[in-house]
Amino acid sequence: MDPLTSLILFGVGALILVVFFLPEKGLYYRWKRALQSTERVLIEDALKHLYDCEYRQVNCTLQSIAGNLDIGSDKAAELVERLESLRLITTENGNLHLTKSGRSYALRVIRVHRIWEKYLADETSVPETDWHSQAEIMEHELTPAQADELAAKIGNPVVDPHGDPIPSVDGDLPGREGVILTNLKENDFAVITHIEDEPKTVYAQIVALGLSPGMQIRILENSPTRIVFEADGDEKVLAPVIASNITVKKIFTPEEIREEFKTLSVLKPGEKAEVIKISNALRGQQRRRLMDLGVVPGAEIKAELENPFGDLTAYRVKDTVIALRKNQTDHIYIKKVEKTNNE
Amino acid sequence: MNKVVPDCENCPVHNVNNLIKLGIDMSSYDYVIALAGNPNTGKSTVFNALTGLHQHTGNWPGKTVTRAEGGFEFNSHKYKIVDLPGTYSLLSISTDEEVARNFILFGQPDVTVIVVDATRLERNLNLVLQVFEITDRAVVCLNLIDEAERNGIEIDVRTLSKELGVPVVPTVAREKKGITELLKYIDEVATGKYVCKPRRIKKRDKKLRQAIEVLKYKLNKVFPDLPNLEWVALRLLEGDQEIIKAVKSGEIGKILQSSATSINRESYSGEIKQ
Amino acid sequence: MTERDEIIALANRLRWEVGGNFHDSLMESLYKEASEIVKKTVRKKGGEFAFSLDRKIDKIVTNKWTGFPIMFILLALVFWITVQGANYPSELLSGLLVGDLYGFLKSAFISLNIPGWITGLVVDGGYLAMAWVISVMLPPMAIFFPLFTLLEDFGYLPRVAFNMDSLFRKVGAHGKQALTMSMGFGCNAAGVVATRIIDSPRERLIAIITNNFSLCNGRWPTQILIATIFIGSLVPAHLAGLVSAGAVVGIAVLGIVFSLVTSWFLSKTILKGEASTFNLELPPYRPPRILQTLYTSFIDRTLIVLWRAVVFAFPAGLVIWSISNITIEGVSLADYFINYTDPFAMLVGLNGIILLAYVVAIPANEIVIPTILMLTVTHFGLQISGAQAGVMFETGSMEVTKQILEAGGWTVLTGINLMLFSLLHNPCSTTLFTIYKETGSLKWTVISALLPIAMGFTVCFLVTQLWLLL
Repeated sequence: MDPLTSLILFGVGALILVVFFLPEKGLYYRWKRALQSTERVLIEDALKHLYDCEYRQVNCTLQSIAGNLDIGSDKAAELVERLESLRLITTENGNLHLTKSGRSYALRVIRVHRIWEKYLADETSVPETDWHSQAEIMEHELTPAQADELAAKIGNPVVDPHGDPIPSVDGDLPGREGVILTNLKENDFAVITHIEDEPKTVYAQIVALGLSPGMQIRILENSPTRIVFEADGDEKVLAPVIASNITVKKIFTPEEIREEFKTLSVLKPGEKAEVIKISNALRGQQRRRLMDLGVVPGAEIKAELENPFGDLTAYRVKDTVIALRKNQTDHIYIKKVEKTNNE
Repeated sequence: MNKVVPDCENCPVHNVNNLIKLGIDMSSYDYVIALAGNPNTGKSTVFNALTGLHQHTGNWPGKTVTRAEGGFEFNSHKYKIVDLPGTYSLLSISTDEEVARNFILFGQPDVTVIVVDATRLERNLNLVLQVFEITDRAVVCLNLIDEAERNGIEIDVRTLSKELGVPVVPTVAREKKGITELLKYIDEVATGKYVCKPRRIKKRDKKLRQAIEVLKYKLNKVFPDLPNLEWVALRLLEGDQEIIKAVKSGEIGKILQSSATSINRESYSGEIKQ
Repeated sequence: MTERDEIIALANRLRWEVGGNFHDSLMESLYKEASEIVKKTVRKKGGEFAFSLDRKIDKIVTNKWTGFPIMFILLALVFWITVQGANYPSELLSGLLVGDLYGFLKSAFISLNIPGWITGLVVDGGYLAMAWVISVMLPPMAIFFPLFTLLEDFGYLPRVAFNMDSLFRKVGAHGKQALTMSMGFGCNAAGVVATRIIDSPRERLIAIITNNFSLCNGRWPTQILIATIFIGSLVPAHLAGLVSAGAVVGIAVLGIVFSLVTSWFLSKTILKGEASTFNLELPPYRPPRILQTLYTSFIDRTLIVLWRAVVFAFPAGLVIWSISNITIEGVSLADYFINYTDPFAMLVGLNGIILLAYVVAIPANEIVIPTILMLTVTHFGLQISGAQAGVMFETGSMEVTKQILEAGGWTVLTGINLMLFSLLHNPCSTTLFTIYKETGSLKWTVISALLPIAMGFTVCFLVTQLWLLL
């Protein structure tokens, strides 16, 4: 065979492989996803949507189901009929309500979803923006028994990484505390308790700002066009549409209000500081390991060395020298002890 | 009542059955010693100094990853010594930590020797205090004391021993300094001549305190002889799967001295059922 | 519900009340206690001067300008000492094991009237393969690892990881992979075991799968031989040494590039994710105990090489002898394979003999060259003094080796492809066995085996076809 032909054949072969197996976009993955939207998935998604409506105390209709599940209204009508025949929901003047068995079914699905998210967050290195979409798939695949096993493996967690409570095996779920961020007034202090992970684009924007449950914020400006607030020392700006996806709990007592502080990543070699807090963005094994190494609130920490590329810094903490990456030090809050301390 | 008093003064306390499960054969030994410590504290050097073996030791955290065993004789007692993987903690559920923790918890070694780096005492004490939550019988080996001295670090060994409630022996393992004294204390603790009173954390958050008390009460009813109730309660609260399993199966109740009076726990728990 | 289940249920309920993150407060209280104790018992007289030597060394070895040169010089020195230092003992061992002892065994077997096929199988096959592995592998291993261990004991290696982390972070891997990679230059199996220092599972798997791209001691001799014969001969004699050495280093560097690219590829596909837990402690420098380290490390490595020679190389030798001596209708098994795979092998610029050699040499890469020579001579029926059909051998002279290979149809292109394929093929069986033991998963073992082969064939194919095109 002459070289040109064989090279062309090779190129064609490689192209076919890419078209089929390109992560996410490849035909193979599309086909796999298509297989997954079976009736069971539709039913479970509809129940989840209805449960969410109930939780937020708004009315759900056939249209909202069609919109939420991204299906035509004919198909949605069929689905609602099916749900009624299964006695999972009842209809009342066009408003849909969950029956008792419908609610417990929904909670089971939500439990699996949130456990899986917690698992991804704590035990794997799947990027934050992918947690939800992967959990959306797994919630229909894991059996409750498998979910329980997984929950046990990761220490029977009580809240998912977005701050949502995980329903217990018996279907208990505490009410959500707090208010929507947009309801706060200027100079209000609050702690983020929950970040809605849908729609994906909005969630990605919130994640990109570095916000996570547990962070303390202070409102600087709240106008119809934008909300400006300080979160753990940094100023953040959000459009109200996006801010309405964040739930917060107001803080009233001054002791709970933390003073302004910086992240460890701003510490220059030779400078000393005291660790104040490890942000909730550092989770699971990573967080535990940091604390094992002595990075705990109250510890004195000193930046000592930078690597030749300047993107890895070694810190002296409790008489040991530990190198940390920037994506970790960005989430460790400090209070500088001395302004300058050049050797 | 949490403390189990051995029937005789110098009886071994290790759990033979669990040790067999953990792969340790005790048939020709009197006592079993566990060697714990942070990575890179010279733990393996201490092990070599005690046993005369040549296990490679490296200046690199996490060198010993497989468990090494050896033996020695002192004061006409035969000792088996198990070198546990070097860990920073016993609470972070990595494989190494699980190996180390399970050995101390279920194997119930007669003495746990915790090797600490004298130049980095504070961070090392974290592990020491964690080990104290599980076992009473410990000796702290304050290794690399020469390095500490060279760098102007002075440690008041007597006060440290008093504060910790266990023997503290300064050593320079690579020069075999202090090893005889270490052996002496190991022997005293193993034979019960030295009774350790390890320091345990008392101050805790109020909510946590209450939760622990409630759990301890319950645990005590089912497993009245459990030596480390507080620790077990904490692990349950943290959702530690290994401990949950051990409680569920009743296995945790079996980690008592093989010499202690055995009670048929099944029927016992049936009796007190309300 | 039993009393015990009730306890668990109670704990689960209480966990709600206490709140999820009490691990934090637990650790805080431990450290608070620890610092109280330290305050009472420790006095620091050294102040800022304590560990000042450590800091000075660190300033130099992690400096922007001096950090990398020091690293390269140290590593180059280790390799240079290994390659140079291994030459003489290798020859000595080879003369002893492959020469004298082989001759003695053979005549002993014959004088004892043992059937010819048993003598062939055991002495020409099993024993010879074993002898080869020991003489090729033992000296470099026994030099490389003790040296590496000295650097480790001194505390320098974590600083290498510290310097190199940026590269590895960008491809989604752990900085400590720099070390397991360097370890792999000695022996991939050792490199795989060393990945235990990486405590996040994803990054550890990446380090395991890509370790094979570090050109190990077993493959250095092949690279040097082929580079000298085929690359060195392209340039004037006085440059030959330099150019062929450059080619070998080029292949090693290419291996590092492949290692990084593959890490990146894995991070984007089957091992998707971002770098998770990262922690790297930089321990204080400690003067290594040179003699003891050299001794223990030497013993360790010698034992490993011997174990490997007996467990893996001996059986491989039996197979090699069998395939070239068992015939069906007058054609040996080896020839069947060679004739059958030749067309495909030609497509990727190799030949059937090389493919067969790599199949039978899976247990030990060191015997690839002797096997190729033996198969070439047997297959083409060449008359070479000292060579015997169906028996592995290596010629003392480059010239004869070159003649044999050229008679076997080798060109410069074959040489280049062999060098590439020697870098990019499945790990040896010792390494695969180690991967299986470390990961406990057949799936990852298979991936570690197939991924480099696929890459090897692809690269060789592209090189060959482009070469032919131009």
